[in-house]
Order: sequence, then C-alpha cells, then structure tokens
Amino acid sequence: MRRLQILCVDSDQNACDRVQQSLASYCAVTCVTSLSEAKLSLEMHIPDMLIVEVLIGQENGLDFCRFVRRHPTLLHLPIMILTSQATLQDKVAGFQAGVDDYVIKPFDARHLLARIRLLSRIKHIEQADPGY
Amino acid sequence: MKKVLVIDDNPTIVELIKYAVNLHGAYQVVVAYDGVQGLERVYAEQPDCVIIDVKMPRMDGYQLVRCLRGDSRTMDTPMIILSAMTREEDQMTGMLSGVDEYLTKPFKPSALNAAIERVLRLTPGDRQRRMDDLVQSLAERD
Repeated sequence: MRRLQILCVDSDQNACDRVQQSLASYCAVTCVTSLSEAKLSLEMHIPDMLIVEVLIGQENGLDFCRFVRRHPTLLHLPIMILTSQATLQDKVAGFQAGVDDYVIKPFDARHLLARIRLLSRIKHIEQADPGY
Repeated sequence: MKKVLVIDDNPTIVELIKYAVNLHGAYQVVVAYDGVQGLERVYAEQPDCVIIDVKMPRMDGYQLVRCLRGDSRTMDTPMIILSAMTREEDQMTGMLSGVDEYLTKPFKPSALNAAIERVLRLTPGDRQRRMDDLVQSLAERD
C-alpha cells in the first residue's frame, strides 16, 4: 500500500517529531518550520495532505492555508490544522481559511492517525463527486 | 432532563424537530440557526446530544462535526446528522467526519427519537471502536 505523503508545517520541532512518530505506520511526513520552507517544499513536491499549525513563529499558518486555497494546482489539497489555538474564533477562522479539519493539541496518536485516514477518504469522495 | 441542541438554518424544520423530539421523549431543546452559532452553543450549553443539518451558512454540518471531534472537550458529544442529502456519498462523508448517526429528511419522529436514545447510550469506547472499524474497513479497501 502506498504511504500517504504529508507536509507538516510547525515551528515546534518537538511537535513535528511527534506527528512523524504518530503517523509513521501509514504516512511519510516531511516537516518544515516556516512558511517560506513550506512554499519551497510545495514547489518541489506536492504531498497528499497538509498538516498546519496556526502559530508558526511570527507567522500565521492560516495565511499559508489561504495561499494554498488560491493556488491553481494546490487548491484541492486536504488541510488539517493541528494547533494549540482552541478558541471558537480560532476554529471559525480556520474553516473560513478553507481548512478541512481542525484538531487541538495535545493529540492522541491513534486518534490523529485515524482522522488523517478518514480525511483522506473524505477528500477522495469530494473530488470524485461533481455535486461538491 | 437531557438537553438536545438542534442546529438547522430552516426555522420551520427546527420547530418540527423540537416538536418531534418531545413527542416520544422529554428533552430540553436549545437551537441554533447556522454552523458557527451551533459551535458557540455547543460550548455554552454543553448539550447531551446535537442534531445537525448539513447545508448551512458559515460552517456546514460536516465541518462542524469534524471541528467538535477534533477537540477533547467535545470529541465524545453524541451527534446526529439530519439532512435532506440522501446519497450514499453524503452519508459516507457524514460517518467519516465522525457523526454517530445519519438520518435523512423527511424523517419520522419515532426514528429520530430512537436515534437519540441510541447515541445517548454510546460510550467513548463504543465511539473509538466504531472509528477503528471504519479505518480498518478503509484499509481493507486500499
């Protein structure tokens, strides 16, 4: 079975490591710690899914999500926010920026892996369905 | 008395659901008329069960379900989608998003009440097993 290719954008290296470990059985996770690195990575390789933190140093991960949603070849990429930003306003802003899923840290490894797999299937359904 | 939150942008449907849930049961019903208001009310009211439409302004029902399942404070909240979207793909998207039951409109009050009673009985362990089974079935298809 082909492993899901994931780009994880988070300035916290420990968080990146945890995501990599949690998803190792099913996904190949590439971690970057800034938005410029993330954009560079997308120029070289388009993954199957993005996992994005909202707070990336002084940058805002939602700006990156909006960039992806406006990009002609990236706009359908599944995006999961994985963040410690847990207010209602944060969540609404996330979905308004075009994200598909919003998971609050700290996360349970088994739960994260399951949600990644379910989201991947949801996006397959959406992309195969002209009704969406 | 158990509290049910109804989230639907059609006030007539909301009134129908309010009537239906108390035809066979006795619930305190609170309401919201779009996804964002629904999200606010989940945190403010901490309902025992949430009944959610899919097509709504500001945040759709699938997004709302995923948003609630992604937060440890609400990941075990019983949720039912009640939607006019009847295709298999719609129901599959609902289940993959994490909803406990997917009912279609028009609905029978008895069916809605039975679904509420079923989801109220689900434990966090039941929900985890359902998610594991769903993931396992996807893995077998891949």
